[in-house]
Amino acid sequence: MTQDPVDPQRPAFDGPPLSLEEELAAANADPEPQPSIETVNESLKDGLNRCPKCGSTDVRLRASTGMLVCLFCRNEWQEARVEEEFGLGEGIDQLEGTVIATGAQDIRPDADQVLTFKCEACGAEVVVDTAHALNARCHWCRHTLNVNQQIPNGAVPDAVLPFRLTREEGIERIRAFASKRRLFAHARFKREFVPENVLGVYLPYLVIDARAQAAYWGKGEVETRRWTEKHGDNRVTYYAADVYQVSRQVSFTVDDLTVEGSSERADFSSGKTNNIVNAILPFDTKNAVKWNASYLVGFTSEKRDLDVAAVTPVLEDQLLSIGRAQVHPSLGRFDRGVRWEQERIDVGGSRWVSMYLPVWLYSYRQESNGMLHYIAVNARTGETMGSIPVSQPKLLLAAFTVGTVLEGIAGAILVAMA
Amino acid sequence: MSPATGLDLITAVTTAVITAVVHLTPALAQASDDGILWLLAAGPAGGVATYWAIHRYYRNTDKSHAYERDTLIDAQPPQGGEERIDHIARTRDSDIDGDNADKYRQRVQRVR
Repeated sequence: MTQDPVDPQRPAFDGPPLSLEEELAAANADPEPQPSIETVNESLKDGLNRCPKCGSTDVRLRASTGMLVCLFCRNEWQEARVEEEFGLGEGIDQLEGTVIATGAQDIRPDADQVLTFKCEACGAEVVVDTAHALNARCHWCRHTLNVNQQIPNGAVPDAVLPFRLTREEGIERIRAFASKRRLFAHARFKREFVPENVLGVYLPYLVIDARAQAAYWGKGEVETRRWTEKHGDNRVTYYAADVYQVSRQVSFTVDDLTVEGSSERADFSSGKTNNIVNAILPFDTKNAVKWNASYLVGFTSEKRDLDVAAVTPVLEDQLLSIGRAQVHPSLGRFDRGVRWEQERIDVGGSRWVSMYLPVWLYSYRQESNGMLHYIAVNARTGETMGSIPVSQPKLLLAAFTVGTVLEGIAGAILVAMA
Repeated sequence: MSPATGLDLITAVTTAVITAVVHLTPALAQASDDGILWLLAAGPAGGVATYWAIHRYYRNTDKSHAYERDTLIDAQPPQGGEERIDHIARTRDSDIDGDNADKYRQRVQRVR
């Protein structure tokens, strides 16, 4: 460890000052276009997604294999993984600036939410509300119509991670989770619990690669002596310690940090149970594939409504936490602990990709307080987390019983000591 | 209630009660007036701990994605320094005030 005290308040030197003309020219110049990754699936267009073998449009995901299956000829195929297709796993340590894939671009408030398609099979006009679905049946000829082009309303992401757990497996995990928590569950919840009401939902996330440097400053203490003094009947331990000014810097890259892309899902205030859905992360995002709306047939989806700028503070917060975890092992000599007082994060470069990730979601609204409880299953890894409404009278009774027993034991000890 | 259910719950409650009792043990050892007061507090403390443990087991309000651990991170060795600036000759505190070395998500003053 080198002796390298750093003054956090000192600004970094970034070259000689510019002349007034240069400053004005820089202020008036057009903003530099941000680098981007083009992720539009060129092999598809809005309208009919046909089976490459027989031409049928009855195509959907087969969860047990993670592949698209044609319901007419049983042909199975899948889209390419975006990791290799767009080079998302490479060059994180050389990232510069903010690179945003086309499916994660800013949402335009004037972008259409409702699209009208002309069915290529029969010519009928079919309406799709992209806020809730990206597929629709032509009501005349029964063909399935799909939204495949990236509209600037956040509905079509760069990539999708298909469901792997079947509905039955999702129900089984939800049932097992709830059955372990029956004794103190709210009576009405137990009565109304129907795990078969589970919904398969694709939730929107921003998946981020980033290169960053974090720095921390604070105080650390090392114990130099410990002794005991007698005060009357009591023995009191005293300590002596050296106080140090401590600084740490660490450079690191993160690969596929996953952050909520929906403002509703990103609200972790105490009246919500969105932390439950957050807790089933991470997903195996390396296996995400290029967008194809056929993956969503039979599932619901939630539209992304957060832009990169809105999520950037969350990214910085998480990078600061990751940096703190990385420097923690270097603090071993401070046996009385370290109190960090200042911190700084410099994000050298970041790459943003929007993805739909698969969740089996059971929701229950508790009538007594209006709270929405979730039991969520990660439809890739099977990780399950949930919030079960509790019966307050039962809980208080249990607490009172344990308290009474302990108090009885304490009383018995006191009597024995007397 | 299945046997597994009962076992999970008993484990959670026992852990909470043991935690409460362990905190009371030093006071008990002193056997002073303070110790008697602490011993009498065992009942309320155990009750609160039971409530808290069961509530947490059912509602999972403390759970979230452990991104510090579950993300692919490639880090260089940490750099930095330490300089002795003071000496505490006598204190009853066994550790530093406001130790946040392992509270990774607790934000401190941000330097821009």
